[in-house]
Amino acid sequence: MAGVIDDYVASLRRELDFDPALAQRLASEVEDHLRDAAEADPAWPSTEAERRAVERFGLGREIAAQFAVDAVDRQVRRTWITLLVTMVVTFVAMRLRVMWLDDGAVFALAPLVDRYAFIAAIGVAAIGWFAFRHSLLTLAICLGGLSASIAAGIVRAGLFAQGAPLHVLLAAAGEIALIGLLSFHVIGLGRRLKRTAVLRRIGR
Amino acid sequence: MLGMEAEMLKGHLDAIVLAALEAGPAHGYAIIETIKSRSASTFDLPEGTVYPALHRLEQAGLLASAWMTPPNGRRRRVYSLTKAGSAALADRRKAWGRFAQAVDTLLTGGRAWPA
Repeated sequence: MAGVIDDYVASLRRELDFDPALAQRLASEVEDHLRDAAEADPAWPSTEAERRAVERFGLGREIAAQFAVDAVDRQVRRTWITLLVTMVVTFVAMRLRVMWLDDGAVFALAPLVDRYAFIAAIGVAAIGWFAFRHSLLTLAICLGGLSASIAAGIVRAGLFAQGAPLHVLLAAAGEIALIGLLSFHVIGLGRRLKRTAVLRRIGR
Repeated sequence: MLGMEAEMLKGHLDAIVLAALEAGPAHGYAIIETIKSRSASTFDLPEGTVYPALHRLEQAGLLASAWMTPPNGRRRRVYSLTKAGSAALADRRKAWGRFAQAVDTLLTGGRAWPA
């Protein structure tokens, strides 16, 4: 039969499902803590001693909510670093394309999107960094701008695909890989923000 | 009043955890016991509150941790201060000293600080 401590640890593990590695580690650590606390109780061994140990430990949801807030902070940092690196690589790739291509007369729209979507993403990121650092919308707009710029860049390079130098192709591959990573981080941030909001609401 | 003290403690929990580990490595339960005994049970936070702080400090490189099993005991995760953690604790002590002195001056109506 599962005891009070076992039930508590299992529920804490469920609350921390946004980070399975953390859930695994913390479950072991908390179980050790609760068994130490229960054994120090005068009523040990008994269900009452376990119940008191769990009560002193606090609500699992409140503890999970604190971890979720920290997880959001870490995810925000990771996403902004990826955004910055993506911007630098996109800029370099754009310059390489401009040096190599002469496509102004061939297809007017792609170069415009390539340039102005990138500039718009930089503008939003600059404002977002100072005013809305934790805003999912800011990061999603930047992601959209960079995606549009990279897609237009690939269309440009595609027009001249035959004979494209290796460094232009590599830069485009780097852009695609980074936009994939950035999308992954933005989606992860969205999930963590949602989980944090739910835990905070329930914990109240 | 205990609720107010607990709220005040939350803002300083990271520094308090660092201070509790100054004497040497310890696991979560021992850290809580140290905080309780040093504060004469004035700060009676839910014990689980210390784990997010430990994790945060470890992520920041101020603490290191490892699983350890004593000869006749249960396996436990033991935390210790890193060099950066010791430096951070010294900085927080200085900042706290300045802050506490300024607030004390304001609350007791003493002379302006710094003089």
